[in-house]
Amino acid sequence: MELTVNGAPRATASSPVTPLLTVLREEFNITGAKPGCEQGGCGACTVLVDGEPRRSCLLAIGMIGDAEITTVEGLGTPQELAPIQATFNDRYAAQCGYCTSGMLMAGQALLNRSESPVTRDQVLEALSGHVCRCTGYVKIVDAVIAASVGEFDNAETDERLTPQDNEPEVQIRGSAA
Amino acid sequence: MKAVGARLPRYDGIGHVTGRTMYVDDVKAPGLLQAKALRSPHHHASIVRLDTSKAEKLRGVRAVITHKDVPRNVVGLLEPQGVPADEPQLASDVVRYRGQPVAAVAAEDVETAMEALNLIDVEYEERPALFDIRLAFEPDAPQPHEWGTVYPHFGSHNHRRVRKGDIAWAFERADVIVSGVYRPQAIEHVPMETQASLAVPEPDGRLTIYSCTQAMYFSLSIVATHLQLPMNRIKLIGGTVGGGFGGKVDSASETIASLLALKSQRPVKWRWTREEEFLVSSTRAAWHIELSDAVTSDGWILGRRMTTLHDSGAYARMSPYGLTKHAFHHTGAYTIPNLKFDGFVVFTNRVPTTAMRGFGVTSVSMATETHMTRTAEILGLDPWEIRLKNANRIGDTTGNLVVMQDPSTVPVTLAAADRVGLELASEYREMTSDRRTADLLPDHLVAQQAPEGAHVLSRESTVDGGGR
Amino acid sequence: MAKHRGRGFATIEYPTGMNQNGDPSQAWIKLKPDGRVDVFAGTVDIGQGSKTVHTQIVADTLGVPYDWVTMDNSNTDSSAVCTGTFASRGTFIGGNAVRFAAQRVRERVLAVASEEMEIAPADLEIVDGDIVPKGAPGRRISLSEIAEAATYKYGELISGQGTALKPLAEVSDDDGSVTKEPHSAISYAACVADVIVDDETGDVEVTRLISVYDVGRAINPLLVEGQIEGGAMMGIGLGLLEESYPHYPSAEHRGEEFGAYLAPGIEKLPELDNVILENPSADGPFGAKAIGEMANNAQPPAITAAIHDAVGVWVTEMPASPERVLRAIRAQAQPRRDGKHVIFDEELSLRSVTANGGAGFLDTP
Repeated sequence: MELTVNGAPRATASSPVTPLLTVLREEFNITGAKPGCEQGGCGACTVLVDGEPRRSCLLAIGMIGDAEITTVEGLGTPQELAPIQATFNDRYAAQCGYCTSGMLMAGQALLNRSESPVTRDQVLEALSGHVCRCTGYVKIVDAVIAASVGEFDNAETDERLTPQDNEPEVQIRGSAA
Repeated sequence: MKAVGARLPRYDGIGHVTGRTMYVDDVKAPGLLQAKALRSPHHHASIVRLDTSKAEKLRGVRAVITHKDVPRNVVGLLEPQGVPADEPQLASDVVRYRGQPVAAVAAEDVETAMEALNLIDVEYEERPALFDIRLAFEPDAPQPHEWGTVYPHFGSHNHRRVRKGDIAWAFERADVIVSGVYRPQAIEHVPMETQASLAVPEPDGRLTIYSCTQAMYFSLSIVATHLQLPMNRIKLIGGTVGGGFGGKVDSASETIASLLALKSQRPVKWRWTREEEFLVSSTRAAWHIELSDAVTSDGWILGRRMTTLHDSGAYARMSPYGLTKHAFHHTGAYTIPNLKFDGFVVFTNRVPTTAMRGFGVTSVSMATETHMTRTAEILGLDPWEIRLKNANRIGDTTGNLVVMQDPSTVPVTLAAADRVGLELASEYREMTSDRRTADLLPDHLVAQQAPEGAHVLSRESTVDGGGR
Repeated sequence: MAKHRGRGFATIEYPTGMNQNGDPSQAWIKLKPDGRVDVFAGTVDIGQGSKTVHTQIVADTLGVPYDWVTMDNSNTDSSAVCTGTFASRGTFIGGNAVRFAAQRVRERVLAVASEEMEIAPADLEIVDGDIVPKGAPGRRISLSEIAEAATYKYGELISGQGTALKPLAEVSDDDGSVTKEPHSAISYAACVADVIVDDETGDVEVTRLISVYDVGRAINPLLVEGQIEGGAMMGIGLGLLEESYPHYPSAEHRGEEFGAYLAPGIEKLPELDNVILENPSADGPFGAKAIGEMANNAQPPAITAAIHDAVGVWVTEMPASPERVLRAIRAQAQPRRDGKHVIFDEELSLRSVTANGGAGFLDTP
């Protein structure tokens, strides 16, 4: 059988009932999608199939045919991040990182099918059913919205640094969701 | 330019957002075997017979282990802290919780490993189980643990004690005594990455373990103890974990993966399923807290009586430590001069409980803060004012005689009030954490106030004359 | 059927460092021939960002740009001991270890620079990777040159190690007293919760959480916010949604799937308003204290108080699930009054459920 992954044809020896997640991780060594639960309940395994977010832990490869599979590896590279990867990184939307690739794929699918800017409610709907235990979701939502309006913190490290003689502020206003 | 104070992205952020960060399950090892554990279906039972011979013969099975394969099977996580060893890595003559591992297999694939589990012959004889910590001292209570129903090693006591000042005086003098019962429940850690270890026997005879642990040297020490090896025969690789929250300190997967790897001389991965993570991984403890505060009608907390029961599950793990921390902080963010605290680590036949975010103090916060609001309501006082009045201040001492150096009860409370636009009376709005004087130093708080510069008070100075 | 609004708050504290101490963190640092900095520290990053925070601390302690520093916490061969990422000790104790190591490296750099530049070490500073003579900034040279000189001229591997360890505080088994501080620092927080309670379903919705945290010093405010926000959701789970054993003390489990066990999903996210205070610790790195663990401790009692404010009932079993809230609303329990005693929750107490009135627990001397 052949699958199309991130634009390239990949031959697989796995049986048609094998979940796509297993084929990606074990056979193709494409490990960005994670086995969070293998029950379809957490979203960490999400990839795009013809642009639609799908839980790869529940998707038998025999059902895919010649549809285009996109994983987080196909979104961007360290040298050339996709906008949503850049905003996730700048805005601290990833803490432990385990749910991140699933969030990125679902977020990117939302950006692909929506007018800019996406609203907070649209983001909540797109990411519902994706579980994150670390971040409390706040900065993930921020990052998806920022990517949709092209609001990048392009500042190099130097520009983020605090000035030489900084005294700590007594109060720092945090971010509201 | 300064980095401290700057909003810098994660050091490893690029790896996270490109799917390139490596977790245990992403590691590839040629010839990798998959591990599965056979787990007890009973809450409490004797093991009458354990026969793995059929499983060993199944095609594709490369190793089967039982307690006999563990060089030092019974280990305690806190042995260096004086808590005796009580928990077997693989059960030998008794199982004490549903899900406890009894045997483990390594096979060429997951399906073969699961089939091998079915071929392991175990005969159990069920024993009565204890689930309700409140019934630990009933005459006919089942005994979940070899030490009985409660941890007996707090010195010569079976409970952790805090005694300060003169509790009888406080309850005699009080205008009102408010009592309540608080029962926070057990919850799961739910890290997005389940428990996972991958052990690789190296050509030079060493063992490499890719581990999801939160504590590399802690786990190294536990594995080395189980395997009876010096530390340099084992190399732990890790440092980046898919969530922990306290549930990846117990080192629940490293030893079994290692034993299977050593026996088969092949790399072995043991990644728990989400079902195992929910049903069998350690949980936050359930607690039962009974609290009585002796208070004056103008809102001084003269004394606190507190009895805490901590549900340790089937083994001790970190429970004596968690309960001790709970005892040290049972006065919360406030200064209470007369105390009688007793805390019990109670064993039950459920999954052993362990640390989880806030360990020991989460339950204090839940119980004592709810109680503080109740007390304010009973007295007809403002809940903000009662807290500010009793707040920790510089020079106040804790229940265990430590002197407060830089408490912030007052600033954080005032900041919260300010943030919601609350108008406090000026005497409260202007409060600080400075040493108590004048109206903030009533007679009953004098004995507990430390001299300037002290870090710890002597026992005598607070006992003599009491907290009056 | 009605929805009722309520507000409640809580103030809490939490210790930094393993209780009673005796938990070392160690680090060692070496310079490459071009002056770049290799740090070997054992603190595990479980998502809280310790690798980032430690790198920031080293960069500023040494005086080099942030991207000169690499952090390796990957294995026990090259990393020294860090007792573990728990007890909220990663920034304070782990951070102190890397800071002490960086201070020693700084001393060696200045010693080599002093020889090379023929200026006393006390008259030199390290700023942004340059060695700068005080009062003669024009004569600055790069730390790269000093590292190169150390490697090829003076025969020194510029390195340093540090250990943060507070000695064990023994505790009296008779009265719980200690003779040394059993912690490294104590952090404080306050939380105000706004809720809406539905008196027909028992459902409690948290609409807003206001959180104030004194973290001593926010080494990286982004990471502190991450703890506040993640902790807020975990606190909502703890206070309202999650339980392993729905019929506790029965050991029957809630379930083995995400659909059965209710970890908070994105739809539970309330409005979050965060305030970070900096009341510096005496000896944490740059005055830092901690936040990691306490981040989910204040929400449950704030929510409980808010439920009482909304519908006049106290739910003292956690989580305050819809069943428990409804039961409390129907029961309208009042405390028993006996002289000056006001006694709540008697039906849950040891006296009520045991054959001997709780004697084994309640009759201690």
